[in-house]
Amino acid sequence: MLFADPLFGLPSWVDAVIRVVIVILVMTLVVVYLTVGERWVVARFQQRLGPRKTGPGGILQGFADALKLVTKEDIRPTNADRWVFELAPYATFIPVLMTLIVLPFAKDWGVRNLALGLFYVFAVLGLNIVGIMMAGLGSGNKYALLGGVRAAAQMISYEIPLVISLLCVVMITGADMGGGVGTLNLNVIAALQEDRPYIVLQPLAFLIFFTAMLSELHRAPFDIPVAESEIVGGYFVEYSGIRWSMFQLTEYASMWGFSVFGSVVFLGGWAWPFGVDAHWTVQLGTTLVKSLAFIIAIMWMRVTVPRLRIDQLMNFSWKVLLELSFLQLIVNGFILLYDWPQELLALTSGIGAVVLIALIIRHSTAKASKGLVGTYRTLGSTPQ
Amino acid sequence: MATEVLWWIFAAAIVGASAGVVFSRSVLHSAIFLIGSMAGVGAMYVFLTVEFLALVQFLIYGGAVTVLILLALMLTRSDPTGRPEPVNGPQLPFALLVGISLITILVAVALDTAWGDSGEGPANIAIETVSERMFSDFGVPFVLSSVLLLVALIGAIILARQEEGE
Repeated sequence: MLFADPLFGLPSWVDAVIRVVIVILVMTLVVVYLTVGERWVVARFQQRLGPRKTGPGGILQGFADALKLVTKEDIRPTNADRWVFELAPYATFIPVLMTLIVLPFAKDWGVRNLALGLFYVFAVLGLNIVGIMMAGLGSGNKYALLGGVRAAAQMISYEIPLVISLLCVVMITGADMGGGVGTLNLNVIAALQEDRPYIVLQPLAFLIFFTAMLSELHRAPFDIPVAESEIVGGYFVEYSGIRWSMFQLTEYASMWGFSVFGSVVFLGGWAWPFGVDAHWTVQLGTTLVKSLAFIIAIMWMRVTVPRLRIDQLMNFSWKVLLELSFLQLIVNGFILLYDWPQELLALTSGIGAVVLIALIIRHSTAKASKGLVGTYRTLGSTPQ
Repeated sequence: MATEVLWWIFAAAIVGASAGVVFSRSVLHSAIFLIGSMAGVGAMYVFLTVEFLALVQFLIYGGAVTVLILLALMLTRSDPTGRPEPVNGPQLPFALLVGISLITILVAVALDTAWGDSGEGPANIAIETVSERMFSDFGVPFVLSSVLLLVALIGAIILARQEEGE
């Protein structure tokens, strides 16, 4: 399969620059509409109208917000470490922008088609945390520092289940390509799902991916690094104006990037259900609808589930998600090694997914423990 | 030609960032320069067309090791801002010893090597080859090293738990 030939026979690097510029412009537009779209969706869930006055139906609200943010004063605290503070928003944003380069939006519609696309995404996204920690350390503010520490701890914990759940899918691509070696190429992964998306075969891996993704995005219920009521906004508490809006841009751009990425790996990307040879408008529309579904699900989680405490967050990652993802990996290995039918994959993973959901429901409906809970228990047991 | 120019730019960036690690007055700045230096080395791997190694470099050194350093900085320093700190102490003679011996070894090796232009471009290694070598040809060393890492992990957990219990 050949993907991403240079446009109009241009030199490779000119073609790359054009594609990157298009992706950046689309990303800006998407982010502007995601900020206002989130307010609409949340308003719908809370039975109110949301912003409806700017332009017909409120469609210009996002641009009004952007204009306000750009013209706001950019304040730097005297206590801050100047260069670390000023470069932190860029260090946060650039990795997210770099991941957008490998995402296939339709057949041939991506900036570059890398053989290691999937690995590239999580290798580069790992650098994101450096900018967040720079913001936390450079602000000279205790709340920002706490936010940075929380973000780092959370990111390190949830990266493992995230990567393992993606590896489960990569294992199956090997079987789909005639046994043996799988692929990390996102375009090929999408094309292999022409008949059925991998969410059918790997519902447990999908659930783990979705949970870990929420955590990586710092979205509710895993938003403790940016929790407003606890640490007044977390690592970007000292930022204002254009630098603050760069953090927002990062948040929404990575939300969009993750949605496209998740829909390519688990929901069949541009290939399912209309096939590899469908017209590019159909494929682009498919990606759009799937990533929109992802984004709505993320917002739905935000308005439904209350925020976790930090010890619950760590326990959930290390004691539930990690084990289940390893289990999924090992079960997949056995089934693929002995060439058992793929229905078995769907069955075992489905059972796992049901177990995970049952665990969550049982835990959340259980009676609250009396007295001091969580990390406070060890403190409380010492003599006063 | 363009690659060569880019190579020199990145080489200068790596040297500059590494000098920044050594000469900056604040530990925080050193850590951030270290990330820059590591990322530059990763870019060098791209020029050698070993993309897999480049991504591993970003993931391990850019994303994991430096995050560990920054996390340690966050948790241990009494003054979390990036103010300059005096960089001297009882470790000075040891640092000198290690530094000078490392430089001696590197210079000796560099002088001893016959640098020649082999005339061959770097060969692209497919990730399938890497995995084949790792999981089939060197399967036993791979398993042994993972056991070693697991033991280290469990040991770290045991040490951390003991501290908490007291």
